[in-house]
Amino acid sequence: MNKPKIASDWMCGCAGCHMSLLDMDERILKIVELANLRATPITDLKEPDESGVDVGVLEGGINNSANEEVAQKMRQRSKVLVALGDCAVFGGVPAMRNLCGVQEALQRAYVDAESNEPGSQIPNDPELATMQQTRAVHEVVPVDYNVPGCPPDADTIFYILAELAQGRKPELKNELLHWH
Amino acid sequence: MVQITINGKQMEVPEGTTVLRAAEMAGIHIPRLCDHKELTPYGGCRLCIVEVQGVRVPMASCTLPVNNGMVVNTETEALKKSRKFVLSMLFSERNHFCPFCQVSGGDCELQNAAYQEEMTHWPIQPGWNNFPVDTSHPYFVFDNNRCILCRRCVRACAEMAGNFTLSVAERGAKSMIVADTDIPLGESSCIKCGSCVQVCPTGAIIDRTSAYQMRDRDLTEVKSICNGCSVGCSIKIMVRDNRIVRIEGDWEGSVNHGVLCEFGRYNAANESRKRITTPMMKKNGKLEPVSWEEALKAVSAKLTPLASDEDGIAAIASTRLSAETLTAFKDLFAGNQLVTSLEEGMPSASVMKFAEKQGTFEGKLEVLRTADTVMCIGANVGNTHMVAGFIFKRNMPKGTRVINIDPQEDALDDVASLKLKNKSGSDLALILGLQAIIVKEGLERRPMSIPDVDARIDEAVRATAISLDNLSQAARVLANSITPVILFGKGITGQRDENLVEELYKLAVLVGAVDSERAGLISVKGETNSLSAALLGLDQIFELNGQKAVYAAIGDSFVSKSIVERLSKAPYLVVQASYESKLTEQADVVFPVTVWSEQEGTFINLDGHIQKTTKVINAPETVRDNLAVISELAVQMNISLNSNWKEAILARKSSVALN
Repeated sequence: MNKPKIASDWMCGCAGCHMSLLDMDERILKIVELANLRATPITDLKEPDESGVDVGVLEGGINNSANEEVAQKMRQRSKVLVALGDCAVFGGVPAMRNLCGVQEALQRAYVDAESNEPGSQIPNDPELATMQQTRAVHEVVPVDYNVPGCPPDADTIFYILAELAQGRKPELKNELLHWH
Repeated sequence: MVQITINGKQMEVPEGTTVLRAAEMAGIHIPRLCDHKELTPYGGCRLCIVEVQGVRVPMASCTLPVNNGMVVNTETEALKKSRKFVLSMLFSERNHFCPFCQVSGGDCELQNAAYQEEMTHWPIQPGWNNFPVDTSHPYFVFDNNRCILCRRCVRACAEMAGNFTLSVAERGAKSMIVADTDIPLGESSCIKCGSCVQVCPTGAIIDRTSAYQMRDRDLTEVKSICNGCSVGCSIKIMVRDNRIVRIEGDWEGSVNHGVLCEFGRYNAANESRKRITTPMMKKNGKLEPVSWEEALKAVSAKLTPLASDEDGIAAIASTRLSAETLTAFKDLFAGNQLVTSLEEGMPSASVMKFAEKQGTFEGKLEVLRTADTVMCIGANVGNTHMVAGFIFKRNMPKGTRVINIDPQEDALDDVASLKLKNKSGSDLALILGLQAIIVKEGLERRPMSIPDVDARIDEAVRATAISLDNLSQAARVLANSITPVILFGKGITGQRDENLVEELYKLAVLVGAVDSERAGLISVKGETNSLSAALLGLDQIFELNGQKAVYAAIGDSFVSKSIVERLSKAPYLVVQASYESKLTEQADVVFPVTVWSEQEGTFINLDGHIQKTTKVINAPETVRDNLAVISELAVQMNISLNSNWKEAILARKSSVALN
């Protein structure tokens, strides 16, 4: 079986782009026909094959050391890397905290928010990943295809995956291209 | 004409045309952000760059005038690359994250430009700086984070509204749009015309009432005429689900060219009066809902025997009603003597009387565009008929002088080059005084014999309590102008003195405002259909003298205290109105009728443009059209409404040419 392998993962996003992927409905069978779906957040495999995949897809931006690791690993193991959705392409909604800084955002979320119990504090378990400024994927590793959208339409995702699975170079324009 | 080749297409365009406009004429679209067809080219965004043969670098086509033999290319690979670069720089400057922006998804010119260039991302991330968001304004939010510094708003403020509130502070990346001396917009000199909202290409200035509700493509755009005042601005009404979402100025409008005032843009949003939806009749001293049949029957039973009695019925109508409605109204009460309008001829009776003698003497608003001096007398264009004021205020930096004469406070005083606060009631003395000074100093353009020159000047100084110096200064500025215009309003016409208008006309002739080629004398009149009402002769003072019933067709007008007071003496009062008011409270019968946006009709603006309004939304089912109510009543009263509105209106000599 010589079908191209596709793997995906998510980082600092909301899973909405993967939802949109599933939104392509029965067309996902077409993708399975064309390609070998390997590790994804919705399949059992948890990491892209060590031997490498043809297409790696990343949802979400990079906002901590764990995300950074995921992005590096996917880049190393993929021939073609796709940044899927506004968070992966631009930083998206999580990047809004860059406007106030990590500390202020954590303070607001864990301590100052009205819904927090009195005496709440910012989690400080040493095993937790270190928070960073939110970055787009292309700020951390080279990206081959940026697919914006919040989320990108199922049609867009189907087009990108189908084209890549068949070894063609997708061109995003007109109806398939939007940033919102 | 100049020869130019754009993308291989040869064409001839007038000298002085910019390359961008020339391309448009050839049907070639050049992307642009800072350019706007109603604003002076600025050359700020650099998106409209083109290649010109023989020129080393790309040129901004919006500020580049055509040259004979110029060869231009707008779509080369190098240009595409440069445009993408320009766009990525704009995106990287501030917060242009699309998912949470009001205009994202079709209404953002920046986003659309990016799509057109097939940008999938921006290569340089923004600097994450926070810029101020100004929420102090009642109608819009100014978010500097979304601003691309195209300065369309700054230019619109100056070139459309002539208000000069917005400007740019700081330089380079720190540049910021500010109001006045960097104070909150809501506390600034802003007159809330909303022109800046209409021209903003991004989500930097967003309209509070319609924000985050829907995209423009979900709205139906209907063109109509503003019902705010007699200027008669062309508007675009954005409608969805039988609701007015937003009102914008129509760029194609011949009177206003896209600009509106606060009332015109936000009156639908500001309407807070309570609507009347059922006919009502007074029973046992209390207004009770009744059927249309019952109400019409009761009114016709009461009015029919009085219809041919001269003093049987008094009738008063709003000048916000269409010409068709006003004509039918006049026909319905043809047998009665006191048939007038809510304006009682205040803005027009004296003007029309003078027109009977003089013929058409008023000019078109167009003359204000080229006026080098505008004398406003009792016109109050700083507060009403504001768009007429915008036309000349915007030329003040180019040297147009404004003389404002008004005993009352007027917002125009703040910007006028010269303001004269004469004593109330001294207008005639003032006008005669100005004439006399001009003749005495030999400044008149046309010889005219003015008797008792010195006595007139003395009287003017005495009566107006304005110093001779100031009067002389005004007279000299006016007389030394090349294209002066005199604008007058209710301050003058409200005195119902035909003589005042005549003397003003003489002054206009003396200073060359009116001659064989120009007609630089204009009265601003009153409400939307003021001129129609005047031409129909609905201009008597409303004073009841023994009438047994009163019919008040006030539509959606506000009614003055004085009228309410005079109507309280009516033995039987029928009110045809859209909203509850003190007047409907005291009525014996109330007919609920349509408001301006629910009916169509003809309106004649202050300079004689005959314009049609459009029915934009459907009225509640139990509410009837203003004209329909009058027609139905006529049927029940067995009165025929024969007059054709056009003939009825043309029967009287108009002070301004109708077209």
